[in-house]
Amino acid sequence: MSTSTAGRFVGQSVKRREDPRLVTGHGRYVDDVVLPGMLHCTFVRSDVARGRIVRVDTEAAVALDGVTAVLTAADLNPHAGEMQPTLLLATPGAPLRPLADGDVRFVGEPIVLIIASSRYVAEDAADLVEVEIDTDPAVIDVEHALDEGVPIVHPELGTNLGAEMEFPIAPELEALLAGDNVVRRTFRQHRHTPVPMETRGVVVEYEPSVGELHAWMSTQNPHEAKQAMARVTGVPAHLVRVEGHDVGGGFGQKFFTPREELTVTLAARRLGRTLKWIEDRRENLIASNHARADVAECTFALDADGRLLGTYIDHIEDAGAFPVGATGGAGALVGLLFTGPYKCALASLRTRAVWTNTCGRGAYRGPWMFETVAREQMVDAAARQIGMDPLEWRRRNVIPTAELPYTLPTGLPLDMVSPSETLEQAAEIIGYDAFRAEQRRVFTEEGRLLGIGLGLYVEPSTGMMDPMGTETAVVRVNPNGQVTVALGTGAHGQGIETTMAQVVAEELGIEYDDVTIVQGDSAVTAYGRGTGGSGTAVIAGNSCRNACAVVRAKAIEIAAHVMEAAPDDLEIVDARIAVRGTPTRSVAWSEVARIAHLETARLPEGMEVGLEATATFKAPPFSWSNACHACTVEIDRATGVVSILRYVVSEDCGVMINPMIVEGQVAGGVVQGIGGTLYEHFVYDDDGNPLTTTFMDYLLPTATEVPTIEYGHVETPSPTPGGHKGMGEGGAIGSPPAIFNAVADALALVGAIIDRTPLTPDTILDAIETQA
Amino acid sequence: MKPAPFEYHAPETIDEVTGLLAEHGDEAKVLAGGQSLVPMLALRLTRFEHLVDVNRVAALAGFARENGTLVVRACTRQRVMERDPAIAAAVPLLARATPLIGHFQIRNRGTVGGSLAHADPASEYPAVAVALGAELELASPGGARRRLAADDFFVGTWTTAAEPDELLVAARFPVWPARSGFAIEEVARRHGDFALAGVACAITDGRAGIALFGVGSTPVRVRAAEEAWLAGAPAAEVAESAVRDLDPPADVHASGSTRTRIARHLVERAVTRAQEGQRVAG
Amino acid sequence: MLPVEMTVNGERRRGAVDARRTLADYLREECALTGTHLGCEHGVCGACTVLLDGEAVRACLMFAVQADGAAVTTIEGLGGPDGALSPVQDAFREEHGLQCGFCTPGFVVSVTALLQENPKPSETEIREALSGNLCRCTGYQGIIGAVKRAADAR
Ligand SMILES: Cc1cc2nc3c(=O)[nH]c(=O)nc-3n(C[C@H](O)[C@H](O)[C@H](O)COP(=O)(O)OP(=O)(O)OC[C@H]3O[C@@H](n4cnc5c(N)ncnc54)[C@H](O)[C@@H]3O)c2cc1C
Ligand code: FES
Ligand code: FES
Repeated sequence: MSTSTAGRFVGQSVKRREDPRLVTGHGRYVDDVVLPGMLHCTFVRSDVARGRIVRVDTEAAVALDGVTAVLTAADLNPHAGEMQPTLLLATPGAPLRPLADGDVRFVGEPIVLIIASSRYVAEDAADLVEVEIDTDPAVIDVEHALDEGVPIVHPELGTNLGAEMEFPIAPELEALLAGDNVVRRTFRQHRHTPVPMETRGVVVEYEPSVGELHAWMSTQNPHEAKQAMARVTGVPAHLVRVEGHDVGGGFGQKFFTPREELTVTLAARRLGRTLKWIEDRRENLIASNHARADVAECTFALDADGRLLGTYIDHIEDAGAFPVGATGGAGALVGLLFTGPYKCALASLRTRAVWTNTCGRGAYRGPWMFETVAREQMVDAAARQIGMDPLEWRRRNVIPTAELPYTLPTGLPLDMVSPSETLEQAAEIIGYDAFRAEQRRVFTEEGRLLGIGLGLYVEPSTGMMDPMGTETAVVRVNPNGQVTVALGTGAHGQGIETTMAQVVAEELGIEYDDVTIVQGDSAVTAYGRGTGGSGTAVIAGNSCRNACAVVRAKAIEIAAHVMEAAPDDLEIVDARIAVRGTPTRSVAWSEVARIAHLETARLPEGMEVGLEATATFKAPPFSWSNACHACTVEIDRATGVVSILRYVVSEDCGVMINPMIVEGQVAGGVVQGIGGTLYEHFVYDDDGNPLTTTFMDYLLPTATEVPTIEYGHVETPSPTPGGHKGMGEGGAIGSPPAIFNAVADALALVGAIIDRTPLTPDTILDAIETQA
Repeated sequence: MKPAPFEYHAPETIDEVTGLLAEHGDEAKVLAGGQSLVPMLALRLTRFEHLVDVNRVAALAGFARENGTLVVRACTRQRVMERDPAIAAAVPLLARATPLIGHFQIRNRGTVGGSLAHADPASEYPAVAVALGAELELASPGGARRRLAADDFFVGTWTTAAEPDELLVAARFPVWPARSGFAIEEVARRHGDFALAGVACAITDGRAGIALFGVGSTPVRVRAAEEAWLAGAPAAEVAESAVRDLDPPADVHASGSTRTRIARHLVERAVTRAQEGQRVAG
Repeated sequence: MLPVEMTVNGERRRGAVDARRTLADYLREECALTGTHLGCEHGVCGACTVLLDGEAVRACLMFAVQADGAAVTTIEGLGGPDGALSPVQDAFREEHGLQCGFCTPGFVVSVTALLQENPKPSETEIREALSGNLCRCTGYQGIIGAVKRAADAR
């Protein structure tokens, strides 16, 4: 499939460059890295949520054959530098530390680091470490963590309030909220976690004689890892190199550099040994950053026709104990974006991040997505309350394209989006009206519960915070004309080696096969933002474009010189630089490259030898994409099982570089949303013991739980060059409320109400039973 | 996630197996398909000094029809139950239950005896054995054999009446008459997961069997419901009777009351289907 | 240490292993066949799937000693020696059946086994056969497409 603006490569579903090595088992993930003298690590972790460490006895572990070192906080913590990520250095956060020191603050917190000849032996040694902890009452329920008399998670901070943002309430809004025409609901989103199929891991080599630290790591962000490792170990940053190679998924969990990776790196530096740590799945589930875990009381004030006049959201996010950085959340955006794609004049908010004795919160595909969850669920609740169809409510309230740009009531400028078009397209593809008729029929005739749900949203990708908004590309033409591009990205499934090659081949007018992307290695690429936050197409893409522009101009100048033509008359077509309109007068791209490097006497007077350029792109503060998700479900009244019947996504990510990859990103995100809404639930008991510590209990959706996803595309080019928009996260943003709304819609047939996820048989049957 | 060290034994006869079990007592464990045991070893939820691998014991593989009985030897792979037409012909419920177990890669390795001996209360085979009135044959050191009714074999979650030095050598499934109907129904969170609740049932002239799974610490045979069914009670009534005394445990996947509700529905459906099957057969 | 001998991707391998070494670790570490991935090590994700005497099994749930005398095929053994993709591998590429690629070897091995036994699976059969492998990236859409394509190509 190709889009209206498709070029030779941009807009084409080019097959992926990455695939041949990955489908044959020849990828190189961190656990595949084997170095001479490499030792293996494991952690002894707390099995208590909150308590004082009374005794750590490592004697038997140290004595075990094959054990090299058994390290505790006393061995490592005094040597550790700053552990906050670069982006959040100035933001207050949890008092991060390599190993638990004196006390423990969640189940899974690392207490001891074991280094041994194999992971098998390391685990044997871990079994021999005796840790005695005096258990204290733990803070588990985030909704009561701020109550009087509740213990304090981080004594250093003196409060369980990690962050707070509050907007004043304008008197007009206050009056509306106090009026009769309001809808008020509290929604709870349960805790789940990103779960990349490749767990985290790092191999670190420190060479004391030269003071160099070289790490291989499963990371979305090799340059950030390099900075973080330099800060923590004290090794100067220019002597640190981080390589990513193939990374088996991240979804935000590998964007910053978490505690264990930094601890192992510090240990490698201290011991001067080569260490490997590969997280196992249980560690990944209990101690790699969790996500979601939100609750909000939401209020909509409406006029008599159901038009949205004002909103208020009071939001709490569970920050856990040790997020990778700051509070690990995005609560501010939850508040700022709450009105989303709807017209609304007045809004106010309060959002708080709260510490608990649970695994820390971290980025997960659309970290702020609770704004969409809360809003879209509110929309349906409001529509139901006033007796209006939710589609009709959205039609009435959505910001019409003609009224763009539109300033959200919180001050954010929204432009170049198409929420009403995607709403209509999704409704049409799914056959909204026909479904409504069918729903009524099967309910009346057979008592079956069918439901339809929508999730409409606008997705910001932001260049506001350094270094998130900038990427640098180095475009280097080899003497034979083939091109190597270096990017600071950390691809982990997005196909960057493919899409960026498409962009460069398009921009330079050369063959796709003649472009290679090098990325994921801090030593051979310029400082970059990594891969995350839906940023690659726009930010890395345009850094490539900018560098290509310089290279192209120089190539044309060389060609003009050798052909004795005017540069302005030249164009690059199919790897030849030709006089526009006279294709016979041309010089091959490869010839120009050769001249630039190997026949420098033919270069214009004074021109620098070589053909390459380095360029950056700084994204505008906000660029927006948007989509509408629509799905239909059936609920089995007897078993509480939800089946998804159809799933439609109508999206607008501007100009698509590779539609196949865009649809793949959407599908992956949608299925994570299906998992998150129906199956995945990270459960703690009241004492903070995790109950879902294996894949038998933490349930990822499989091929039997997911529907066929249908796509619709709307293309509103963004104002940035190329016209692309960020889209990698969106699938996971729109899907949870679409599914929730569909289930709520079906349950409404029998008057049952839901206000929380996950939508398990328990939730569904309880809702039906409560009603009956 | 690596298992603790153990000594590995690969005996080739049943006597050698029971001999090793007798010799090492509590420190030894039988390793069959490994699909339940190895995860527990890897997670270090359990550890044994000795693992006795029974995969090379020829006398534990395969199945045979002995008059009115299908004898499935313990180490026969679950996939055989799924694929071999002779199984579907003799004990249709076994063939129908098998695709509900995990995934095909699990069934390629997992054994019939392993599933029965493991005695997970949410497993399919134990319930099938109970519903059909199967017998389990155990061998002890020195060659002695005994047979236990499935009803008596399952005594608790992951606990059977077998002694630590006893080996399950075969499950003996009675071949029900031609004019019989069978059904197995379950609800799991995802395809292939252990059931939240399930039921295996069979009916023929003068005899009915109903065993629930996932709703107690063992498969639950519901005799009153069997009698009601035989007496011709409507399916809804049979179902009501089947769940009357249930008190299923709760876990992260479902509450006890959810399991009961699901079980009631499944019994109603299964009983109806089995009856239809019987009608077609007869 | 116990002696063990098996055929891996057609090559005879002889060695000695600790009893507790899993087949997956043996293949990855002793045979340097790192295409067999470990996504959970407790039998649920399917990333470690290999063919044992032609049948798809979890390599994390077997000990290497148990494969003594067996023929093991890993992801590396499915394609042509010159890097040519097998029909299943090629179908995964054509249908965008992978993103990060971590789950891919397990899926490709499972699908290869499925199509050997059932060359023309229905959509339901495909989904059920895939349910023993977890993918976190693709939402399974491209994978299901790949199975259909590979089946059609047979
Ligand atoms: C992802 C996954 C999903 C699964 N889903 C299901 C499911 O839905 N339903 C289901 O029923 N099972 C399921 N299982 C478990 C599977 O069926 C196992 O194969 C079975 O429970 C154990 O059989 P095994 O041959 O693998 O035995 P092993 O794992 O080798 O042994 C299990 C236990 O039985 C003992 N044992 C084995 N054989 C004998 C014997 N002959 N005599 C005495 N003791 C013996 C062992 O000592 C051990 O304690 C699943 C497993 C996995 C990994
Ligand atoms: S690693 Fe073997 S099933 Fe997950
Ligand atoms: S492609 Fe990443 S897990 Fe499947």
